[in-house]
Parts: sequence; C-alpha cells; structure tokens
Amino acid sequence: MELKEWSLIIFTIVMQMAIGSFVILGGVHYFATRRNGMAEADRMADRSLLAIGPLVVLALLVTLLHLGNPLNAPRAISNFGSSWLSREIILAGTFSVLGAVFAFMQWRKIGSMNVRRVVGLVVALVGLVLVYAMAMIYQLPTVPAWNSPATVITFFITTFLLGALAIGAAFVANFTYLRGKKPDKANVQYTMLATTLRWLALMAIVLLGLHFVVIPLYLATLAINPEPAAVASANVIVGQNGLLLAVRLVLLFLGAGVFAVFVYKNAASEAKLRVLGSMAYLAFALVLISEIMGRYLFYASMVRVGI
Amino acid sequence: MAKQLAFYFNANACTGCKACQTACKDKWDLNVGQTWRRVAEYSGGNWVVNADGTYTQNIFAYYTSVACNHCESPTCLEVCPSKAISKRDDGIVLIDDAACIGCRYCEWACPYAAPQFDEARGVMTKCNMCYDAVDAGGKPACVAACPSRALDFGELEELRAKYGDVAEIAPLPSAEYTQPSLVITPHKSAAPVGSAAGELANPEEV
Repeated sequence: MELKEWSLIIFTIVMQMAIGSFVILGGVHYFATRRNGMAEADRMADRSLLAIGPLVVLALLVTLLHLGNPLNAPRAISNFGSSWLSREIILAGTFSVLGAVFAFMQWRKIGSMNVRRVVGLVVALVGLVLVYAMAMIYQLPTVPAWNSPATVITFFITTFLLGALAIGAAFVANFTYLRGKKPDKANVQYTMLATTLRWLALMAIVLLGLHFVVIPLYLATLAINPEPAAVASANVIVGQNGLLLAVRLVLLFLGAGVFAVFVYKNAASEAKLRVLGSMAYLAFALVLISEIMGRYLFYASMVRVGI
Repeated sequence: MAKQLAFYFNANACTGCKACQTACKDKWDLNVGQTWRRVAEYSGGNWVVNADGTYTQNIFAYYTSVACNHCESPTCLEVCPSKAISKRDDGIVLIDDAACIGCRYCEWACPYAAPQFDEARGVMTKCNMCYDAVDAGGKPACVAACPSRALDFGELEELRAKYGDVAEIAPLPSAEYTQPSLVITPHKSAAPVGSAAGELANPEEV
C-alpha cells in the first residue's frame, strides 16, 4: 500500500467522521434545545462543532497527497457532468465552505436560531450527498469488489458510527472542561450528557448490528461472483489479510458493542464521570482503529477486471 | 476523415516477439513501468485420457498484442475529473498532460490497463495511436514494426467488414465495458473471455 492509498484512507475516514459528527450534533442540539433551552444546548455542542473544522481541513489537504500533479488540482471540478470524482470534489468544497459559514454564525450567534437551523440543515444535507458521491466514485464496473451497494451502505454506516462515537467522546471532553471551569453549573450539563450518551450508545449498537449484517453478506457475494477479479478481491480480504479482518471485527464488536453497552448502562445509573468518560473515549478509539483497518482492506481489495 | 480509427490484430500471425511493444517504447521514449503496447501470453492445457487408456496432451498457447483501444465508450474519458482526456473526430483518445492532475482514476476504470502513470512527471500517459504519423498519412509505430504483419490499423467499420467483429478473447476483458475499437482474428486455440481453460502466463509483462 502506497502513499496514494493512505491519503485516500485518511480522507474518506476523516471526512465521513466529520459529516457524521455534524449531522448527529445537529440532531442532539435540536433535542437538547427542546428539553433544556438553547443556551445550555449551545454550551454542550458549540465546542464540538468548532472541532469539526480542523478535521475537514485535514481531510481536504490530505487528498492533495494522492495527486501526481497537485498544481492542476483546481481543474478537478470540471467534469461534473460525468465524473463522480468531480462531483465529490465540488460537494466537499461546498460542505467545507458552508460548514465554516454555519460554524461562524453559530459561534458568534449571528442570525436567529431558525435561520441558523436552516443553514445547518442545508450543510447536513450537502454532507450526506457528499458521502453518497464518495461511494459512487467506487461504483466502477471494472472493479467488482467496489461496484456493490455494500460500498454505499458501508460508507454511511462509517459516517454515522464514527460520528456518534466522536460526538460522544467530544461531549465527555467538553463536560470535563465545563466542570473544571465552573463546578456549580455542571449539573444540568451532566444530565444532558448522560441522556445524549445513552442515545449515542444505542445508535452505535444498532449500526454495529447493521455492519455485522452487511460485511458477511458482502464477502459471501464477492466470493461467489463468477468474475475472477471478484474472487481475487475476496481472497485479498479473507485470505491474505484474514488476521487483519478478524482484528477489525473484534475491535468493532468491543468498541461499538461491549463498550457502548457499558456507556448505555452507566449513563443510566449516573456512575462516576471518570468511568463513563473512559468508556466513551475507548469505544471511539477502538471503532476508529477498526474503521481505518476496514478502509485499508477496502483499498487493498482493488482488483481490476481485464489485463 | 475516418470516423473511428481502430487496431486490428491477427492472433494466428503473431509470434510473440514484442517488436510492436519495443517500437512503441522506443518512439515515445517510455520509462520503465510504462508500456503502452503489451503482448499477453495465454496458455493452458493438460493430459487427456483417451478411451483406450492412453494419454495425449491438449496444450495450447497464443499471444494477444494490446494497447489502448480508443474505445467507442471510453470509460477513462467519462471518469476523468479534469477533462484531460478527449476523443478526436477520428476516434483517437488522447490525454492532455497539461490538464491531467495525476489522480490515477482512469487507471482504475480502464480494463485494458491503457492509462499508465508517469512517475517522473506525475501525469497519466497512454497510447495515442501515433497520431503524428497517422496525421501525416503513415502508420502507428507498432503496426509498422510488426515483422509478421499481425497488426494493422484503419477505419473500424472497414476492418470489421474485412475481418469480422471479434473484439474479445481470453485474457482480454469483455468488450461490454468500453466497446473497444479493436478487431481480432482469434487464434485457432482461442479461449472465450473469462474461460478457465488457460491462464495469463506473463502477468508481470502486461
């Protein structure tokens, strides 16, 4: 695996995590506002929103590493009529710029809450279309391992799974910070954190289940595909990288399964923040590593038909 | 003016000498790793038990010289994000390296491995059917160099009328992907696309 693939692994994972975080953050903020008012919701969510910015910038910069001729990069948007790669780049640019505008508005409280909600909703929609475009790039008839609905579904699972767990970890960090600053005001925030973590943990468990339905079905379909390139890809994933696949699945199960259940149970019983926080961090770290391994396998399995 | 120029390949005449490949590499001064025209060797066969218990073999081998097929549906052109790939009025598909960003997306899309990356310059390159020679009324270097006259080029419809419309044999991919402008006279032992009768004997060379 060369630099080119690593830059694509980092770009797709980080961008999808950023989009998932943005969308989930929006949902959490909406419900938190209904329950506890906008000021408390902002206190919980704003820092996480600003943290998405550097992630997106990192993802965009990394893509330049996979170009042989980065000076020509601006030309890459010109074939939006037929190339999903052009469409992806345009959507990524739109998401980044609009997202930055929204983050600035939300940070400085520019415009009414409803105006900001509309802008945020547009950014979220552009982000989700971007995930779809990222998956469509790989719908190449000449690469059977990628040319599958599993690519689209998996990209969306990654988006929401990493988004949920990243937001969970970010909220724990934010709460730790708030409590350190003003210990007396942290109580409402703790209730909000516990409620949110329960929902995020539940979401992670459902997405884990979906992953565990899609992965075996995808591998089985690939293995019985009559095209030799498909069988060769299945052999790369299950044969040559069998151990990596096994470790990925175990980490996924531990992170999005075992630790998410712990988070769910402990958030309900109002256990010590330190325990709850460690579990939220651990769940995120394990799933992030697992998803990077999964994306590595995705690129490693590229076997083209023909000669 | 031709509507769609195409290559013709006669597998029965090819001896696998790779003069076409070498002439191409020489004319365009290609780096190691860039081989616009390649010669694939496909071979197979086994011992067959006859009714009287004796054994005979049915081994076979044949060559397929292949470059860019200047396809009727060039998938490289469709997927290229920077519109660096274009198709001339005579059907020749060209990469404009001044517009190429070197993302190598076309490399994933083409089933013939025609677009090849120039590591030194960071851009994609491929067979251009020696458009300079063709424009001057001459022949592509590979066609001109073939000692057994296994290669030719010309208007696709004329070549089809003369030699038939076979555009796929093992180990080439199915013609469905890109509708290649390619006419083949198959070898007498030619196996169909996707056949398990033989295998590509020189994968490192193609």
